Amino acid sequence: MTSQRRGIHLDQSELLCKKGCGFYGNTGWQGLCSKCWREENQREKQKQIQEDWALAERLQKEEEEAYASRHQKAQSQPTITPFSKFEERKTKEKSSKVNTVTKFFTPSTKTPSKKDAFEAQSSPSPSSSTSRHSSVDSDHATREFIDFLKPLKSGREIFKQCRAFTESMVYKRDMAADELSECVQDFYQNLSDRLHTQFKGSSEHVESVMDEVEKYMMTRLYKEVFCPETTDDEKKDLAIQKRIRALHWVTIEMLCVPVDEEIAEVSDSVVKAITDVIEMDSKCVPKEKLACITLCSKHIFNAIKITKKEAASADDFLPTLIYIVLKANPPRLQSNIQYITRFSNPSRLMTGEDGYYFTNLCCAVAFIEKLDGQSLNLSAEEFELYMSGQASPQRPQSTGAASCSPGSSALGQVHERLDLLAGLGERQEQVMEKARQLESDLIDWSDDVEQKVQSVLESFPPETQNPTATTASGTTPAASSAIDSDNVENEHLPPPLQPQVFAG
Amino acid sequence: MAAGGTGGRTYSFKVVLLGEGCVGKTSLVLRYCENKFNDKHITTLQASFLTKKLNITGKRVNLAIWDTAGQERFHALGPIYYRDSNGAVLVYDITDEDSFQKVKNWVKELRKMLGNEICLCIVGNKIDLDKDRHVSVEEAESYAESVGAKHYHSSAKLNKGIEELFLDLCKRMMETAQAEERLKGNGASQSASSRRGVQIVDDEPQATPAGGCCSSG
Ligand SMILES: Nc1nc2c(ncn2[C@@H]2O[C@H](COP(=O)(O)OP(=O)(O)OP(=O)(O)O)[C@@H](O)[C@H]2O)c(=O)[nH]1
Ligand SMILES: [Mg+2]
Ligand SMILES: [Zn+2]
Repeated sequence: MTSQRRGIHLDQSELLCKKGCGFYGNTGWQGLCSKCWREENQREKQKQIQEDWALAERLQKEEEEAYASRHQKAQSQPTITPFSKFEERKTKEKSSKVNTVTKFFTPSTKTPSKKDAFEAQSSPSPSSSTSRHSSVDSDHATREFIDFLKPLKSGREIFKQCRAFTESMVYKRDMAADELSECVQDFYQNLSDRLHTQFKGSSEHVESVMDEVEKYMMTRLYKEVFCPETTDDEKKDLAIQKRIRALHWVTIEMLCVPVDEEIAEVSDSVVKAITDVIEMDSKCVPKEKLACITLCSKHIFNAIKITKKEAASADDFLPTLIYIVLKANPPRLQSNIQYITRFSNPSRLMTGEDGYYFTNLCCAVAFIEKLDGQSLNLSAEEFELYMSGQASPQRPQSTGAASCSPGSSALGQVHERLDLLAGLGERQEQVMEKARQLESDLIDWSDDVEQKVQSVLESFPPETQNPTATTASGTTPAASSAIDSDNVENEHLPPPLQPQVFAG
Repeated sequence: MAAGGTGGRTYSFKVVLLGEGCVGKTSLVLRYCENKFNDKHITTLQASFLTKKLNITGKRVNLAIWDTAGQERFHALGPIYYRDSNGAVLVYDITDEDSFQKVKNWVKELRKMLGNEICLCIVGNKIDLDKDRHVSVEEAESYAESVGAKHYHSSAKLNKGIEELFLDLCKRMMETAQAEERLKGNGASQSASSRRGVQIVDDEPQATPAGGCCSSG
């Protein structure tokens, strides 16, 4: 267990909680995990909520002033009935279910090493700067949202409702994730129904407003509702992370991935696809996370198309996506999937293109979780051997001591690398040998050439060396001497031939 | 289902394509959406998610057709693909008896998971190879009727029967959506999951992408 924890620290230490509890940290939380962050910042949080209120009040006032000046003689606006009743109902339901399993799970893994604890203490208090940073973020989101809504007739109503709803959510953070999701989804649904009536069925128009609503709300709520403490999302993140690590030996051939990485453009697309799926974790808004998955999928299609020279079908795409996920081991994969499922605009997930790729990602994760020998065309024994690290597919099964020690997976890799190194050493020797050979060959050759030149010079006396000179006799000697005068190497040339007069 | 709207609204439908490998699922959608068959000169990047816009008796319909991975090792992932779909096109190859049995399995599974909300189409493809037919027309049609599905014959190669089957399917999905809309209008209360399509909790363990029960970690 400890060796495994260390393994994580070595590879992705920057992703883990600074307190060393073993969960993932988040740059938005100064590198702490949700749990540690909450503990550290309970007071800061209260303060920030107050700041948010103040900001919202200020923005609202600005907004109202702007409206008052623009709509002085304007007609009455279509109103949207408040959501307050619905809000009350939701609030009553709150905090009924807090997942106690997580509570048991969390402290047990949270035994920071002395060094980690020391580092956490000695680092400057993160709270003030972070709270400023995140409120700058939400401030920005709010402004963009208001700018977007300004030209709309019911823009102010929409803003009011969204703001009120978002603020009410901040106080519901102890509510179970399903219920939080239910609240947000109901809000989306109600708002979009109203917008449909108002825009007389222009779906595109409604969708564009809903996109902005999602962006505004989720930017503000991200740290509250991403991987919330009440779920076991973090635990699942670690489980899939570990599972993918254990499957490092899975090859393209086993998955029947129709992609040939020998082709430069293909391997380029593969790298881009991996980068995109990793990138997903850095986005806050569900739509933006989905866009990363879509981009990743497009790169996969490109790789397949170049390899197969035909358009990719689902049977090509899914195995390739599985392969990409195995190679990328994207951070907080389960948390991201859960977050998108809970808080994305539902129509996007149901019928949109983004939804299709997202569904395939869910399939890829489910496949990876359940994968066994059969799904890779391996016998159960082979699968076990590879999973336990007692053998790896490229090498024949190792024998002796290495195969029964628990760290044999790493040992196997070390052996492999050593073999590679030995091979490299040999080849280097060969290259040196060849280089020496080449050197002596070159010396021999230049000696040879020198000798030949000498012998030629000896066998042909200077007089007969330049027979063409006789034909030059008719040209003007003045012109040729003028050219010759520029020649610095004149001294090395044989003396010019004198024109001779032949009788007859 | 929330995906289908009424009045002046545009309908958005999700249709999954199911069927054994090589029965011609991909050929069928490529023919329908891009009028291509075994095209050597490919301009299509992918054939796994295709859309088609239709106008049926003055109503706009956006059809999203989801290809599914048909290999046996991906069978368990079916529920993740077809949840929230309004229709399913179940394809078999008329020259392949096995592929028809597979369709029967899919029908059972779909009815179990999605009930009667989903419109089913059973499609016998490759009728240009009628001389090698191994599934009788009567058997296929009576089976379809017995499970409340519609049966069609098609050839992606000759472009036969494809427009008809999708058009028919769309009309049926519109009827289903309108019936649901009427129910809503009558004030019948809805469950949260039918109000919006995305299901958060899934009691079928194999259906949840996040089901951690089988992971070794
Ligand atoms: N003769 C004939 N051949 C067809 C027809 N439709 C498809 N095919 C051929 O059947 C083969 C399989 O077609 P695909 O469209 O790739 O089948 P699929 O169901 O998508 O297969 P998977 O993606 O493996 O699940 C191809 O060689 C097609 O050319 C048809 O109507 N008639
Ligand atoms: Mg196909
Ligand atoms: Zn922590």
